[in-house]
Amino acid sequence: MIQLKHIFHWVNQGGKRVFILKDINMEVNEGEFISVMGASGSGKSTLLHILGTIQEPNEGDYFLKGESVYQLKEKQRSLLMKQNIGIVFQAYHLIDELTVYENIETPLLYLNIPASERKARVAEMLDKFQIVGKKDLFPSQLSGGQQQIVGIARALIIEPTLLLADEPTGNLNSKQGEEIMNIFKELNQEGVTIVQVTHSEKNAAYGTRIITLSDGQIEHAKNDQ
Amino acid sequence: MLKNYLKTAFRNLWRYKGFSLINISSLAVGITCCLIIGLFVWDELKYDKFIPEGENIYRMYTEDTDVNGTTSTASVAPMFATYLQSNYPEVESTTRLLMFNGKLLLEVNGISSYENKGLIADSSFFTMFPLKFLRGDPKTALEGATSVVISETLAKKYFPDADPIGKIIKIDKTDFAVKGVLAEIPEHFHLDLQYIIPMPAAGVEKERMERWTWNQFFTYVKVKPGTNVQLLQSKFQAAVKKEVHREFAADGSSYVPFFQPLKDIHLKSSEFIYDNAKRGNSVYVKGLSIIVLFVLIIACFNFINLATARSFRRAKEIGVRKVIGAHRSQLIFQFTGETILFSVIAVVLAALAAYLLLPSLNAFTGKSISFNPITDPALGAFLLATSVIIGILAGIYPALFMSGFQPIRVLKGLKPVNSGGSTIGLRQALVIVQFALSALLIICTIIVYNQMNFLQKKDLGFNKDQILYFDLPGDLAKDPETLKSELLKSTGIVSVTAGYGLPGDQLAGDGVIIPGKEGDRNQSVNLFIVDHDYIKTMGLKVLTGRDFSKEFKTDNEEAFIINETAVKEMGFGSTEQAIGQRLKWDKWEPDSINPVKKGKVIGVVKDFHYKSLHEKVSSAVLIIYPEATVKMAMKVKQEELPKTLDYIKTTWTKFSPAYPLDYKFLDENFEAMYQSEQKLSTLLWIFTMMAIFVGCLGLFGLAAFNAEQRTKEIGIRKVLGASSLDIVTMLSKNFLKPVLIASIIAFPVAWWLMKSWLEDFPYRIEITAWVFLLTAAASLLIAFLTVSFHAVKAAISNPVKSLRTE
Ligand SMILES: Nc1ncnc2c1ncn2[C@@H]1O[C@H](COP(=O)(O)OP(=O)(O)OP(=O)(O)O)[C@@H](O)[C@H]1O
Ligand SMILES: [Mg+2]
Repeated sequence: MIQLKHIFHWVNQGGKRVFILKDINMEVNEGEFISVMGASGSGKSTLLHILGTIQEPNEGDYFLKGESVYQLKEKQRSLLMKQNIGIVFQAYHLIDELTVYENIETPLLYLNIPASERKARVAEMLDKFQIVGKKDLFPSQLSGGQQQIVGIARALIIEPTLLLADEPTGNLNSKQGEEIMNIFKELNQEGVTIVQVTHSEKNAAYGTRIITLSDGQIEHAKNDQ
Repeated sequence: MLKNYLKTAFRNLWRYKGFSLINISSLAVGITCCLIIGLFVWDELKYDKFIPEGENIYRMYTEDTDVNGTTSTASVAPMFATYLQSNYPEVESTTRLLMFNGKLLLEVNGISSYENKGLIADSSFFTMFPLKFLRGDPKTALEGATSVVISETLAKKYFPDADPIGKIIKIDKTDFAVKGVLAEIPEHFHLDLQYIIPMPAAGVEKERMERWTWNQFFTYVKVKPGTNVQLLQSKFQAAVKKEVHREFAADGSSYVPFFQPLKDIHLKSSEFIYDNAKRGNSVYVKGLSIIVLFVLIIACFNFINLATARSFRRAKEIGVRKVIGAHRSQLIFQFTGETILFSVIAVVLAALAAYLLLPSLNAFTGKSISFNPITDPALGAFLLATSVIIGILAGIYPALFMSGFQPIRVLKGLKPVNSGGSTIGLRQALVIVQFALSALLIICTIIVYNQMNFLQKKDLGFNKDQILYFDLPGDLAKDPETLKSELLKSTGIVSVTAGYGLPGDQLAGDGVIIPGKEGDRNQSVNLFIVDHDYIKTMGLKVLTGRDFSKEFKTDNEEAFIINETAVKEMGFGSTEQAIGQRLKWDKWEPDSINPVKKGKVIGVVKDFHYKSLHEKVSSAVLIIYPEATVKMAMKVKQEELPKTLDYIKTTWTKFSPAYPLDYKFLDENFEAMYQSEQKLSTLLWIFTMMAIFVGCLGLFGLAAFNAEQRTKEIGIRKVLGASSLDIVTMLSKNFLKPVLIASIIAFPVAWWLMKSWLEDFPYRIEITAWVFLLTAAASLLIAFLTVSFHAVKAAISNPVKSLRTE
């Protein structure tokens, strides 16, 4: 489903290139649940951002469902992304001015989904995560765990084929974290491909495969090439 | 989608109430100013547009150039119309109005009063200007010598319950038959009229009507469609040159006729002398338009400034929206939509404000403008469209800027753009422009105010206060002395004079002859027909020589008193040397014994401003010539004025029972002369205040934002030992610099603008440096007060609190 080929990413510091990612080659197959691990500063978030096309590497190729992402026109790429990828952040990143319901609904607006269908899908999502009672609250009125659940609901509303999560449990206590991980596991069983970044071995174990980064390079990856 | 945007927009509006309030109110103030002035300007531009085929109608005027410069005159010779009509086939018709002050006594069965909006017109008047008739036939209404057409108002006044058609009105003691009643005369007609009598009624001899030099007529020409008016004009200029060359070219002066389009009469005649049109002033109309544009620009800049400043607060929302699939154009649409929402609210508020303020505007300008966007859907739609345009103009930059945020930076918690530098730079630039515009307005306001003050306070060389005057009807004019002595019996009347030529009133322009060795020399002067009490009553100052005196029997026939300017223009050298110089004057109604007044200069008076200060004092000659007496003026005491007035009225009735008394105070005329500048000055004050207010609102918002953004920094600095004063200085410094730069930019522009405005005044103030210094100081002070409010608030806040909340 995903192929990264020779991804290099660097910043210039004092005239010298400091590599953040160095020759990353990886493949993610449909239905996998991958955990990315590594020391702080090893480039995990950067890798995830590249997968989510929030960031573009300085060099390398990215294939998603057989399409070369960087060759696509801006419009097509953004369509490909917003139809296929859901992203969950460590810091939730909900829109403060919108209610739970509206936060979850927003991605559908950008996909031009008709109102009736939006309603049905949001209702389904609220139901699935048992947050129907919270639908009219604003993010500031929720606990961290609840916010993250909304964040996940928002990522899933587009029915993504790929879910990217950057330390989704980083700001949560262990019980809340466990809850999120179980949700991920279920989703994976329903067929959603997941790439998550985590610091916790326990959370990593929920996945089907672990990729470890160190200084911008993949360490003990099972080499699928 | 729209609902989602609207929701976010309203919630944002509500969440940042202060910000929204500043934005909306400054925009509302700006738009209110625009609406008010827009309505005024629109109204000014409406003049004479209602006249059918008005684009083919022109008014004649002339430019007369002599040693004193060029003057434009709206009144021309009677032959203009005759010649144009008979020599150029492209001329369809002409019509003339005889210049007179419009005031005649109207009497119908005991109802009698002076009506001062009269016209004396050629019978073609209503063909050229087809005003609506309620009764009568426009084609024949002005035929004969004794017809009159009256307005509906006069019809109601003089014939309250009868049909006026065919009835007799006594006009100046002559019978006229009413041949027509006009429907309400459109307000936007450049002529102000209540009644019209035909040209033959004026009884001008045929010989005079054939003159090329008796400039006593307002002349309108209607050309056939498609006429090349430029060509016609130059043909006619050549003809006039031929006809009147002898008269005018002698001393190197010129006299050139021009065609003025009908639509220009109202706004582009402000420099004309001898004009009877209702005149506006295109310079002021343009000036006001520019000023309100300034106010609007300042308000829009507030919008841009505050929106870009605030955008950092919304960076997260933008980043998130982008990550979950928003396209940049969708974000641009969203944010522009928000500013449109703001501006729609502002326009609604502004429309309401304009609606409420309109009565004051009408009272101030004497117009009757109406404004109701609800009953006038076209206006409503126009306002809505305007609000959308303003919303887009003010919102597009912030929207482009914000939608360009890179989500990666936002999500990482970095500042959303690479370096804040560019927007800070832009904000500073906009603040500079705002304050430059404000400084410009402040300087202009001060200078206009000073000039007005100068004109008002300037010693006119005579005393215009408490001088009452009236016309003398025929019998009284022949023997004013008895009335004079009767009036002087009142203790409330200090002195009385009779003659022709009061400052600020009608004046006679004429020439005197200076006999010399190389022959006689002609000198054009303003002639004042006076008596022995004129100089005393008007408070003129005799510099050398003496006043007219009854002790010198020869004064009546042989004495001339001239002013300082005449001394110079006549080439007499000093005022002392002028005494005894010989002068001659051709009498207006030459008697067989002495057709020419020959005599000597017996006195020189200090220059007195008998015309408005817009004109330089010209040569004035005072003579005794009782035959031309038409007016009486008297100085009255302020105390017991009502009693004195009663006395004047009873005395008048005794002397002239046939005519009602119609008096005026001399200073009213002088007030009227400066009215347009006075109003300009007032408007300038108002709009300058508005501009400053709006600019300060913006600065206030920016300062609030700045202080808020730096709360944490301020907290840390305080913990590290910075004093409150240090903090205030730190926060204020950033804002004062642009204000200072703005002043420096505004100074030369203001100087140049005001210099050219002042050049129209022969008597004017100097532009002094202190105006600029004052403006700079005022701008700085205003900016400092605005900014320091937040700076002080931030500086005295408890650092622990601010650090904990961060
Ligand atoms: N704009 C930038 N300029 C300089 N260095 C950067 C920039 N962005 C990221 N880096 C560096 O890139 C490296 C990788 O960052 P990244 O956020 O991917 O690490 P991470 O593995 O997610 O760490 P953590 O576990 O702490 O989240 C870090 O060393 C960081 O300092
Ligand atoms: Mg990270």
